[in-house]
Amino acid sequence: MLTNRRKDALVAAVLVAPFLAIYLLVFVWPTIQMFGISFTDAPLIGSGEWVGLDNYTRLDTDPRFRTAAWNTAYFVLLTVLPGTIVALLIALGVSRLKGRLQAAILALFFLPYILPVSVVYLIWDWVLNFQFGILMHVLDLLGLDRIPIMKTRDWFMPAVGVVTIWWTAGFSILLFLAGLRAIPPEIYEAAALDNAGRWTTFRRITWPLLWPVTSLVFTIQLIAQLKIFDQVYLFSQGGRPNDNMVLVYYVFQRAFQQDQGGRAAAVAVTLFVLVVVVSVLQFQLLRLAGGRK
Amino acid sequence: MTVRGMLKTAIVATIGFAGVAQAEETVVWWDFLGGGDGVRMKKMIEDFNTAHSGAIKIDATTLEWGTPFYAKVQTSAAVGEAPDIMTYHASRIPLAVKQGVLQELTADDWTAMGLSSADFAPATWDAVTMEGKQYAVPLDTHPIVLYYNKDLLEKAGMLDETGKPKGLDSRDGFTATLQALKDSGVKFPLGSVTADGNFMFRTIYSLMGQQNGALMTDGEFLAGDNGAKLANALGVLADWTKAGLQSTYTDYPATVALFTSGEAAMMINGVWEVPTMTDLNAQGKLFNWGAVELPVIFDKPATYADSHAFAIPANQGKEMPAAKRAAVLEVMSWMSKNSLFWATAGHIPANGAVVASPDYIAMEPNATYSSLTANMIFDPKSPLAGVAGPIFDVMSTYFVPTLNGEMDPAEAVESIKEELNAL
Amino acid sequence: MTTIHLQRANFWGGVITVLTILLALLWAFPLYWGVISSLKPEDEVVRPYIELWPETLTFSHYTTAIYDTQIVTWYINSIAVAVGVTVITIATSMLCGYALSQLKFPGRKALWWLILASFMVPTQALIINHFVLTSQLGLINTWAGIMLPQLIHPVIIIVYKQFFDQVPKDFREAAVMDNAGEFRILFKVYLPMNWGVTTALSIVTFIWTWNAFLWPFLSVTKTEMMTVPVGITQVNDAFGVYYARQLAAAVLAGLPVAVAYLLFQRKVTEAITLSAGIKG
Repeated sequence: MLTNRRKDALVAAVLVAPFLAIYLLVFVWPTIQMFGISFTDAPLIGSGEWVGLDNYTRLDTDPRFRTAAWNTAYFVLLTVLPGTIVALLIALGVSRLKGRLQAAILALFFLPYILPVSVVYLIWDWVLNFQFGILMHVLDLLGLDRIPIMKTRDWFMPAVGVVTIWWTAGFSILLFLAGLRAIPPEIYEAAALDNAGRWTTFRRITWPLLWPVTSLVFTIQLIAQLKIFDQVYLFSQGGRPNDNMVLVYYVFQRAFQQDQGGRAAAVAVTLFVLVVVVSVLQFQLLRLAGGRK
Repeated sequence: MTVRGMLKTAIVATIGFAGVAQAEETVVWWDFLGGGDGVRMKKMIEDFNTAHSGAIKIDATTLEWGTPFYAKVQTSAAVGEAPDIMTYHASRIPLAVKQGVLQELTADDWTAMGLSSADFAPATWDAVTMEGKQYAVPLDTHPIVLYYNKDLLEKAGMLDETGKPKGLDSRDGFTATLQALKDSGVKFPLGSVTADGNFMFRTIYSLMGQQNGALMTDGEFLAGDNGAKLANALGVLADWTKAGLQSTYTDYPATVALFTSGEAAMMINGVWEVPTMTDLNAQGKLFNWGAVELPVIFDKPATYADSHAFAIPANQGKEMPAAKRAAVLEVMSWMSKNSLFWATAGHIPANGAVVASPDYIAMEPNATYSSLTANMIFDPKSPLAGVAGPIFDVMSTYFVPTLNGEMDPAEAVESIKEELNAL
Repeated sequence: MTTIHLQRANFWGGVITVLTILLALLWAFPLYWGVISSLKPEDEVVRPYIELWPETLTFSHYTTAIYDTQIVTWYINSIAVAVGVTVITIATSMLCGYALSQLKFPGRKALWWLILASFMVPTQALIINHFVLTSQLGLINTWAGIMLPQLIHPVIIIVYKQFFDQVPKDFREAAVMDNAGEFRILFKVYLPMNWGVTTALSIVTFIWTWNAFLWPFLSVTKTEMMTVPVGITQVNDAFGVYYARQLAAAVLAGLPVAVAYLLFQRKVTEAITLSAGIKG
């Protein structure tokens, strides 16, 4: 028995080793390093002098950091809950369809999700182009004023939010559909016998039974959207990046454009801590919310 | 001449001119030249490769202009992955030197290239010099100019007898021309890159220069009445927007498209768009057009200009072999001496001999706007200046809202001043 | 249930169905518009009115994109990186998932928590140090460098563990009786029973890697080493107005995954739901 256990441990070590090696190399080690250089004035490549908490204290009065933090929060607000709702509504609509029609309609909703972000950017940049975009022609036809959507501060984040929901909703829709399929049809049949209305059925049956999926979708979205970079970077090119700054973009700007690794790392650490705290909080909250049902 | 210098010259001679059977030296080249610039540079590279067949071959790549280009250069130099030669804006050399991105060009290098300060205008030579050392070979000077659609101006009765727009001598005069264009049914009398503050820096800096304004005096930004001058400059453009005389929130490609499709009657843009017009015109796809020096909105003519130059990146942890360096020097030398063709891209060649050649003097439309060379102003010589540098970055943030009527010019100037002095 | 009630339900049900279909068409319209615009000449795309079908149909932007940019090279890079990441990630995760599921060893609990906790870590925050690490290893501008930080997808281990957990214990006991080693048990019993999972997880890993932007964008400074999503936005070619040409490049970049999806829709759907920890 004892030899068996020792053998098990040995085999396990061999099986786990490749993963663990990569994990330590690209996860743990960089994390430690990130904390380390955030206390120095190092450039991107190379070492620097110890500066204590300077990189952190100056964030307090850094207007660009404030813009970045605010925009990130704003973006989360604009995408996470609305994205979840939109996906749920679409999933409810799609779940009514049958067979090939369902597959075709689902494909239309899902296609954007498998496209690279730069393709999404090129297509939407063209649709929204202030001079030649088709949306502007539509506004003209409706007799409305054209809106330079990606060029103004007020419209930028909401627009990137809409594009992001368009891009990623397919993923959430699939999860909701899987959740809907898992609800036994007998329950609906019983409800129909009770003459329950559409809304009552949804509120009493679908929503509570779908709750685990809903909270999963919500969690995945929240963590993903806090890390927003790609869309904001691409849509800001040749525009006003400093107004549209988000946290990851700010890390990129400090480190890769201004060669200030230390200051960038301080921002990165802030983001890191923020994501961890939000994840933990949200996990607890959703557990509470789920427990009440 | 030192022994090393002679050795280098000898190597250049062997590789460049004798073409001895030897391994072909590949020179990795990066540039940011799009549009008509790109087409012409490609041709020059082909010509170079043909002329040096078997000895040197340029392997060229074009990257996205501006911030993306300079971010790539900086990170790749830091990890020893930079190219052998690259195009660089002279305005950005102070910043590059501070960051250690560029290699110095020594006296031996200049000898090897067969070039010296005597071949360039003093201002151009100065633009590539930092603390007595040179860091790049200037290729050209490229100011901005006013492009105009002769057909539309004529229809609005705003073309004078020499075929130039009326009202180029004052703010009121030029505004009247724009208004007349508007009244004649032109959608955008002036096409401006109002969505891109980086770009508008050139126009606004020109307008500051027209008031004798300076960005930086004794290390302080916008001191004295320079702030007010910047506000004036912004005010002119903001007023045109308010009066509906200028395209709003227009990005770079859209501005060019508005002008070439006849929706905008005039456009302030770099001379580098000249080939776009020449080429379209040659295909019969363009109206009658012209290009002149910027209108004098304030006290005196002044036009912002920058210079494209060739530089050798300082690759961290990698020493460039002597043969490679000789090949790179030959590339720079050849490009400078053969820059007449480059002038067809609208630019003013930096090499004095080329500018003095009869071929260049006769070249159009360069000749029409060549008068402006006397009125050119350059970026302040600071590590904060230059394309995609910190000054560009800060100012562009406030230009876009101001030029599109979201923000008051005075308010913008206050914020710019605050941010710049905090750099 | 009365007939009237049923009719009303049918009516509203029909309205919802129609709305869903209309929304789906609207949803996909930008994709259609991108493709159509890429088939028009440049001077036609900037016309001041809507033109739902090109007046002059041209494929010239596609030939330009293929011949005048390095998109073919970028394809090769993208495929190499995506295949590399998929193979390595799936292999290491499968081994680790099996150990977690079937073996008792010291530190098992700790490892499990480590994997769960890593869900919370934003890899985007680590870009600086990933760059430093990659540069120290001399892997900037290499396939290996693009792959390295993308090799960790904890969710794959978790899914493998769940599936291995569900294999009835009898199989394992029978194999142990036969004196089969752990590797044989894994490869002859557990893996064949879960081929579907492996395919599905490979598909998602491939899609994730193919679409990755931030890291490939940072770790490559040479155009010839770029992946497709990065290349089409970073490299500018020599043309004046180039909206249609850019869209052609975008279509070329999106087409392979889109076609693959349409061909294997069911499998991809299953893969995506699985990757979120839901069994479809």
